Amino acid sequence: MAYRDTGHEDHSHGHVSYIAVFFALCIFTGLSVLADVIHLPNTAVKTVIVMAIAVAKATCVMLFFMHLKFEGNWKYILLAPTTILAIGLPIALMPDVATSYYISDVPQKYDYEEFMAVHGHHEGEAHAEGDHHAGDAHEEGEHEHTEGDDHNSHEGEEHEEHGGTEAAESSEE
Amino acid sequence: MSHSTSHQAGSNLKMGLPIPNSKLGMWLFLGTEIMFFTAFIGSYIVLRMGSQGWPSDPHVTHINVFLGGTNTFVLIVSSYCVVVAHESMSKKNFKRALKFLWVTTCLGFVFMGIKSVEYYGKISHRILPGMIAENDWQATQMAMDDFDHAVEKTGYSDMKLELGDLQKELAAAEEDDKASIETRIEELQKSIAAIDPFANAVKRFKAEAKKEQMEYDLQSGEEELIASQVEGDSELNFEPLSLTGSVQALKGKYPDYASHVHEPHVILYGNIFASTYFLMTGFHAIHVIVGLILFAFVLKQGAKLDETWTDWVENSGLYWHFVDLVWIFLFPLLYIVDFT
Repeated sequence: MAYRDTGHEDHSHGHVSYIAVFFALCIFTGLSVLADVIHLPNTAVKTVIVMAIAVAKATCVMLFFMHLKFEGNWKYILLAPTTILAIGLPIALMPDVATSYYISDVPQKYDYEEFMAVHGHHEGEAHAEGDHHAGDAHEEGEHEHTEGDDHNSHEGEEHEEHGGTEAAESSEE
Repeated sequence: MSHSTSHQAGSNLKMGLPIPNSKLGMWLFLGTEIMFFTAFIGSYIVLRMGSQGWPSDPHVTHINVFLGGTNTFVLIVSSYCVVVAHESMSKKNFKRALKFLWVTTCLGFVFMGIKSVEYYGKISHRILPGMIAENDWQATQMAMDDFDHAVEKTGYSDMKLELGDLQKELAAAEEDDKASIETRIEELQKSIAAIDPFANAVKRFKAEAKKEQMEYDLQSGEEELIASQVEGDSELNFEPLSLTGSVQALKGKYPDYASHVHEPHVILYGNIFASTYFLMTGFHAIHVIVGLILFAFVLKQGAKLDETWTDWVENSGLYWHFVDLVWIFLFPLLYIVDFT
């Protein structure tokens, strides 16, 4: 308890309106869901938006709820090394696994190529197809009956008519 | 605390940081936790970006953005309550602190409840690591095994064995035993006859499925693959459809026996998807449980709660915020983003 007199108590409730932070976090969460539900035409834009929102939320939680804004400089010494090391792992793996010029030679690669050859040219289409139904998918366990008939990566008769012309394009991928 | 000024002068000469040891320990621990979760999340991002055709259709993955969003909201509210609880502890308003910690704990259970619903949905659709068919051959195999199980569950083969034994017994039995054996034989024959059509249908299905599997084996030969790509061969998607169709037909015709049989699904990268999903959300759920245990110690104090628990509340609060933080990233990464 002795340490408490050394002043950290003064920081522990800086002049922050916690309820304002809380509402900001709620609004951010709502925006994330909204970004998914409105089916943005470009999935990359959606990804950037929701990840930016996540970073903003994380910053709010760390600065205000975890009081990092009011802590001494020890916070940098403690957190910077682990954070940098942690981020190093995905960055190190990125060129080999995620952004490699060559597609990994896994069996799924050939199935995917087959699927693309038959069903049309870009993934966006297949995904958009699924997203139209995102709104109906409220109950996790309750729509077994809708399962078999569509949206499987190897099914989807609805795409069949595209097959002919787009097969040529997709074989370049 | 009346001599706090003299104490402060003394502590200025001390080595170390101006925070309680327990808080320093918690922050160090959270530093390791950052690395722990970043390893999982980073691997997931890297694997997902490197896998063209990763499942992102919510109908296939049973990922539901509204359940995930609700859980995000639940954790944010709980985080807010912890902050208020800690503030109340500092102001020595222990009753208020206790109240807010109770709300936090309840919200923790709500989170776990929603998580369970999501897990149940995945498990009941067999979205489990290692269980997902990633090609037609595997889907066919799964359907065959499922129907085998369905037949097995009716006791069909056991009854057939018993029938054979009884028929042998009947020949050797004495006159007065014969009647009882005969009635049992009749019973068995009736039950077997009831299941016969299903068992035979499964037999026919399996024969057909085996043939299809052989065709898939042939197709996976390099030459056929290239040929099919060039022509945009529509034969390729005819077969899986016929498999789904025949499984549905069998299920429809014999609902008493086959209703629980899963319809065959091919989910490309489904297994690695399930592995990463359960790894990340599973470890996060374990952290939620640990947080709830930390709060339980405080709640147990009840009216006896006093300022000696302030650091405990602050530290478990920091831990809880970290759990919230992890979820803040897991939510968009698992439920929303689309790396194409």
